[in-house]
Amino acid sequence: MLGIGILKGMAITAKNFFGSFVNKRLLPTLQYPEAGNSVTLFSRNIPFLVYDNDEDPLGTMRCVACKICEKECPPQCIYIVMEKDANGKPAKRPKVFDIDISVCMGCQICVEVCPFESIKMDSTFELSTPDRFEGLLLKREHLLKSNTYFHKIHPDEAQEVDDRLAAKQKKPAPTPSTPAA
Amino acid sequence: MTPINPDQLIVQLTQWALSFLDSYPLVAVLVAILLSTVPLVAVFPICFAITTWLERKGLARIQNRIGPNRTGFLGMLQPIADGIKMLLKEDIVPKTSDRLAHFLAPVVLMVPAFTILSVLPFNRNMIPAAVDTGVILFFALGSVSTLAVFMAGWSSRNKYSLLGGMRAIAQMVSYELPLVLSGVTVIMMTGSLDTTKIVAQQQLSEWIQSSNAGLQCLGQIIGWNVFTPWGFAGFLIFFVASLAEINRCPFDLPEADSEIVAGHLTEYSGFKYALFFMSEYVSAFAINGLSTTLFLGGWSGPNIRPPWSDDPNALLIPGFVWFFAKMFALMLVMIWIRGTLPRLRVDHLMGFAWKFLLPLAIMNIFVGGFYYYAPRWHGIPVVGWPIGFLVMYLSYECIGRLNRGPKTAQRVYHYAS
Amino acid sequence: MIIAFSILSVIAVISALLAVRLRNLVHATLTLMAFFVALAGLFILLMAEFLAAVQILVYVGAVGILILFAIMLTQQVTGNVKEHIEAHGALWGLAGATAVLLTLLLPAILKTALPLQPVVETIDPSVRALGLNLMSPYAIALQVIALLLTAALLGAVVIAISPEKSEEEKKS
Ligand code: SF4
Ligand code: SF4
Repeated sequence: MLGIGILKGMAITAKNFFGSFVNKRLLPTLQYPEAGNSVTLFSRNIPFLVYDNDEDPLGTMRCVACKICEKECPPQCIYIVMEKDANGKPAKRPKVFDIDISVCMGCQICVEVCPFESIKMDSTFELSTPDRFEGLLLKREHLLKSNTYFHKIHPDEAQEVDDRLAAKQKKPAPTPSTPAA
Repeated sequence: MTPINPDQLIVQLTQWALSFLDSYPLVAVLVAILLSTVPLVAVFPICFAITTWLERKGLARIQNRIGPNRTGFLGMLQPIADGIKMLLKEDIVPKTSDRLAHFLAPVVLMVPAFTILSVLPFNRNMIPAAVDTGVILFFALGSVSTLAVFMAGWSSRNKYSLLGGMRAIAQMVSYELPLVLSGVTVIMMTGSLDTTKIVAQQQLSEWIQSSNAGLQCLGQIIGWNVFTPWGFAGFLIFFVASLAEINRCPFDLPEADSEIVAGHLTEYSGFKYALFFMSEYVSAFAINGLSTTLFLGGWSGPNIRPPWSDDPNALLIPGFVWFFAKMFALMLVMIWIRGTLPRLRVDHLMGFAWKFLLPLAIMNIFVGGFYYYAPRWHGIPVVGWPIGFLVMYLSYECIGRLNRGPKTAQRVYHYAS
Repeated sequence: MIIAFSILSVIAVISALLAVRLRNLVHATLTLMAFFVALAGLFILLMAEFLAAVQILVYVGAVGILILFAIMLTQQVTGNVKEHIEAHGALWGLAGATAVLLTLLLPAILKTALPLQPVVETIDPSVRALGLNLMSPYAIALQVIALLLTAALLGAVVIAISPEKSEEEKKS
């Protein structure tokens, strides 16, 4: 019969309509502030910097300010200045490490290229701010997060990274080679 | 004092109020006019608000969303929030627009939308304008809305608006034909253009006036035109054509937002946009009210006589409850369709009106005539019903099949495979 | 009654004049439609509501829209204001209108006794009488008109189709 397709379509929408009252799968909406968030183990949005010791974030920061990520970042949203000690010798630590998250597109390239496992993807998402210039330019202090936190948000990946670092420590590597080269 | 008849309570109250003014005929006329128009202007915007809420919620559920839920309980205050937002918006008029026409268009749309409501019988003795030619008046005033849409499209000086206006004209003029012709069948069978008579013809008065409650109930339903073959086909044609007439999905080409921004509404904002929006919904109500009147028995519904009354025409549930229930049911179907069907293509739209609905509507007139003269057995149309139904079904199938385009070969994708 | 009549007639006359004088075609059509609506109002005053409804249905809903549609398909919607047409058509028109006024309307006006009696009773079942008249004494005329319109429709279809065909023939 003609027009049966229309009736079938109507039946499907009706099923969705009534199903949304009884079937959780047909109403996947989460009421955000009340019902929590929908962050999963696979969520990634902006990068953060990892440090090892919870007591001393600046001292145990993994980043050595090699600026590879700055060069590789496609939209050029990372800005790094290396710290110098009193003699003007590079201190292998960033003095300034800024990421403009209004520009960052979450491509994870910085994570891929970092040879020191120092920059990783975060899954925080409540980043809105009334100040769209300063508020969205994350400084070193904002970006630093502990390895414990990394374990919390992406346990598998963090464990992998830890194992890799431990393996590296065992054999005394002369200089850390850049795997991405 | 006569026993209270819930059905006629409002009518009696009005008459009672007017009886005080007997000595001032001029004032009485004015008050009577106000009493019959103010409810229309008050009730239908409220219906409009309820419908926008229903539409948002319904569409959301169809699409597995929740819909508005922050404004009041279940988002019920959303229409008010919308209204406030609309009213506070700046009214932007394009610099090169035709200011007068641009200003007049929403008014020209709104006035007939509300006027046509006045020929609908909401209940027994509850019709704002009891005119002899109700149905014709309805169609006549309804056709003015085309003009308003054109004015809006033309005066905006915007190509999208103009395209929307052109599409609206082509569509409304084409779909007016099947709309009117399917109504003609009912008029022909009733022998009257008077909406009250059309409703009365759909009630079996002997059954209603009998003492059996079941018969009273059934007598209010069984006579509906939609239960006859011509009425059923006519109702479907009328409903589809009315969807196109008020630019609802899937015939919303004049305001197709993925193609021409918002069609004739592109350059409207703020209050004028709200007026457009409201008149669109009010005319949707009006046309659903008319199809209720023509095919679904108007204000009659499963209703019984109140036990305390011996007036044969008294009813327990006021008739307008049924009227509004049916009107809203049709509105819900429209929302349902909007959630289901994609928009038609322009040439399909025209073809559908001229090559499918129109022949079917003309066929329906013949079937109506046959049904009227076919022999009956104790008043039951034993010949007319099955044959009429068969003829309508066959012509539906045949016209539909004739309309099928040539079978196209299976499309071959060269790059995507 | 008199107030409504005067308002409606003033609207009708002004909009008719505007419809003739306006240079913008769309404006002219819109004022023409205003004239039709005012005319429908006058019909209602005469208790001929069916005629009023048909007036709106046919003239505003169909003819006017058709004119607008035709205008949309023409090149110049707004007439060139500077261009002045040198023609004496206005004079001839005026002469014709005066002739009609003198020969037809004036005698009719003079014949009627002025305090008009309402004629409500005689027009009561206006639609039914109209239908019966159309179906019995004027049935043949109606059929002829219908035939004529059908022929016109077919002609329009033929005109609309033929150029496309010839183009196709050129191509092939
Ligand atoms: S995620 Fe991509 S865009 Fe963002 S900082 Fe890293 S490299 Fe740049
Ligand atoms: S690549 Fe890694 S170590 Fe080098 S600057 Fe970026 S985050 Fe620091």
